[in-house]
Amino acid sequence: MVENSVLISESSTRDTLIHLLARLLQNGEVDSVFALRGTSQEGRYCYSLITDPSLLNEILPFHPVMPVQGARALSELTITEPFDRPVAALLRPCEIRAFVENVKQSQGSLENIFIISCTCPGVIPASRLLREDREEVQRNLPANIRNACRTCTEFIPGTQADMTVLIASDEPQNSTVIYLHTEKAVEIAEILDSCTLETGKPPAELTSGILETRKKALKDLMREMKAPGDGLQSLVSLFSACIGCRGCREACPLCGCVLCDYETARTLHSPELVRAEAKRKGSLRVPAGTLQFQLGRLMHIAPLCTACGQCSDVCPVDIPVSDVFIRAANLVQESLNYSPGRDTDDTPPMATFAEKELLDITD
Amino acid sequence: MNSILMDLLEKALVSGIVSSVMVPSRGPDNSFPWTLVTDVSALNRVEPVPPVMSVHGAKALASFTQSMPEGKLLAVMRPCEARAAIELSKLEQIDLGNIILLTMDCPGAVPLKEYGEDGTMEPDINRPETLRPLCRQCTEFTSAGDLCLAMHGGLRTVIPLTSGGQELLDSLGMKAESDTSQWKEWANALRGEREKVRAESTEKLKETYSGLQGLVEVFSGCISCRSCRTVCPICYCRLCFIDMKDRRSPASAHLERSRNSGAARLMSNTLLFHIGRMAHMSLSCVSCGMCEDACPSDIPTGRLVSMVSGNTTELFSYSAGRNPEDPLPLNTYQLEELHEYED
Ligand code: SF4
Ligand code: SF4
Ligand code: SF4
Ligand code: SF4
Repeated sequence: MVENSVLISESSTRDTLIHLLARLLQNGEVDSVFALRGTSQEGRYCYSLITDPSLLNEILPFHPVMPVQGARALSELTITEPFDRPVAALLRPCEIRAFVENVKQSQGSLENIFIISCTCPGVIPASRLLREDREEVQRNLPANIRNACRTCTEFIPGTQADMTVLIASDEPQNSTVIYLHTEKAVEIAEILDSCTLETGKPPAELTSGILETRKKALKDLMREMKAPGDGLQSLVSLFSACIGCRGCREACPLCGCVLCDYETARTLHSPELVRAEAKRKGSLRVPAGTLQFQLGRLMHIAPLCTACGQCSDVCPVDIPVSDVFIRAANLVQESLNYSPGRDTDDTPPMATFAEKELLDITD
Repeated sequence: MNSILMDLLEKALVSGIVSSVMVPSRGPDNSFPWTLVTDVSALNRVEPVPPVMSVHGAKALASFTQSMPEGKLLAVMRPCEARAAIELSKLEQIDLGNIILLTMDCPGAVPLKEYGEDGTMEPDINRPETLRPLCRQCTEFTSAGDLCLAMHGGLRTVIPLTSGGQELLDSLGMKAESDTSQWKEWANALRGEREKVRAESTEKLKETYSGLQGLVEVFSGCISCRSCRTVCPICYCRLCFIDMKDRRSPASAHLERSRNSGAARLMSNTLLFHIGRMAHMSLSCVSCGMCEDACPSDIPTGRLVSMVSGNTTELFSYSAGRNPEDPLPLNTYQLEELHEYED
């Protein structure tokens, strides 16, 4: 780990990154670049794997939108085999954390991925960028970011990042500041034109104000958590408008099952059972299992949820799915003493078994 | 609420001629879940034609009718839902054996996303701007299933469409209005208008998104949430072809793809997924618009599938969900067919 070595550039963040990535591609340091790009349709974005340096001017590094969770796209790329040559990937902190969890579950590989991340200011819900005045919503970013981003306290990337671009910071920056965390990052920075290398304050010192705001928002979210008794009724009401599209599950970078448990013959209610229940109760909501799905997914994901907010972002009926998941995740992860995405070496809670565990929540 | 319909449902349940009714009810917070009602007292929350379509009726029905219900089941649904139910019975996902489908002159539905804003919008058949894009161009807005509640052309009556429907009316001692000529005129006039809208919209779609490049363009904003597939009544596969493990390609293949054009879009399967879905849906799509309504990226997927399916069904002289007796074209085989595609 290189201590707080920073690259300073007087060009914009975007230009600096394009220059850097072009150099990497041209010098053969990396074979490809994984980055966000605009599409031919305005207000719509996608991740791309870029090999031609001349196309780099189309990238939108850290543009405040997450059309697909980056971990999901990276997992698609590396699920059957790792990259055999280096690729530079631009990822937000929650995307890195989710991908680290993917790697632990054999859903991808970090091998040969050079990660450029940022101190993350948050992203705007994709549907708002699509339906509203884009310039207007981007103008005041902190006011328009996702709920999940508002409560995110882990907006500085962890140890997997090779470089971190200072984007979120308490004071506006006059120049582009990029932290160089690894030897490789320093090596790369040294070959760039018109940049200087310095030693800077660590990112945490430049973002303490944001952290305070975020912590407060998270605390507010946790306080809203209902007592267990009325919890179920409030969940019924919360998910009453759910149309069962399962977009939340598909978009979640951690829901990686080929066939969801709640689509299997084992968990789907048999036609006979549904009809018998309707007879017994006088009236029954069909298809049955809306809440079963939500609670089941919650159970599977709460220990691993990296609080990205993608599930809320895709919900067509605006159910605050990620609020529910992030609240539960905080409680569960605290009691399991597990921090998803921190380190590939941390064993996931379900994979460990201690004879005397969870004594505090059993009696 | 419609009193003739409520009267019918009540009589049917009380007399025991029907043992359960599937119909939307009013849920908490402006939601309209489907309910399977067996007790008359639960009928007071019924909302037979809610302003939105949150879950497709055929999908709700298929969730508990793969085997035949014990007593008669009366399902109250929109025409596109009844047509999908008939398609699903041909695809062996619903056993229609003991099921009576009751539809109505459908007013259309408000787009989910617009309804959600304050929950006050009502669909108005005469004001297309209150309706979902596919409802605006729907030509089969009435008379599907076994019975139809007619509410236009001066009528307010339940009209039997099949012998099963007639039997139910007879056994309940109900009689349909016999003069339906004005109602038919109303339907023909609206159908004519809607056909024009549909032709215009198809023309526009073709202009904007023609060929493979057009498809690339229209789906470029797809975020691969697969909601279109999950909410579609006809997409019933438990595991979709696109999610099968053999669809996965190694990193090297993705790189290869990127080198071919300088950059490769991710998720890489997007276009294949949509083309595959179009192909699979092209005979049975009932143009219900669920897929489009659920799409968080506002992609006109319903209009596209419906357009493609319009071409295919015409070729096979087939109409999805019209008649339970019409066999699915791909399940029949005729020695002499499709000559126009040979040379
Ligand atoms: S995305 Fe929203 S509507 Fe779809 S299943 Fe999830 S909670 Fe329900
Ligand atoms: S549950 Fe929601 S917030 Fe948590 S990782 Fe999945 S998509 Fe992100
Ligand atoms: S493809 Fe779309 S419009 Fe056609 S049946 Fe399915 S959901 Fe309805
Ligand atoms: S619902 Fe829309 S965004 Fe989701 S997969 Fe379908 S077309 Fe793509």
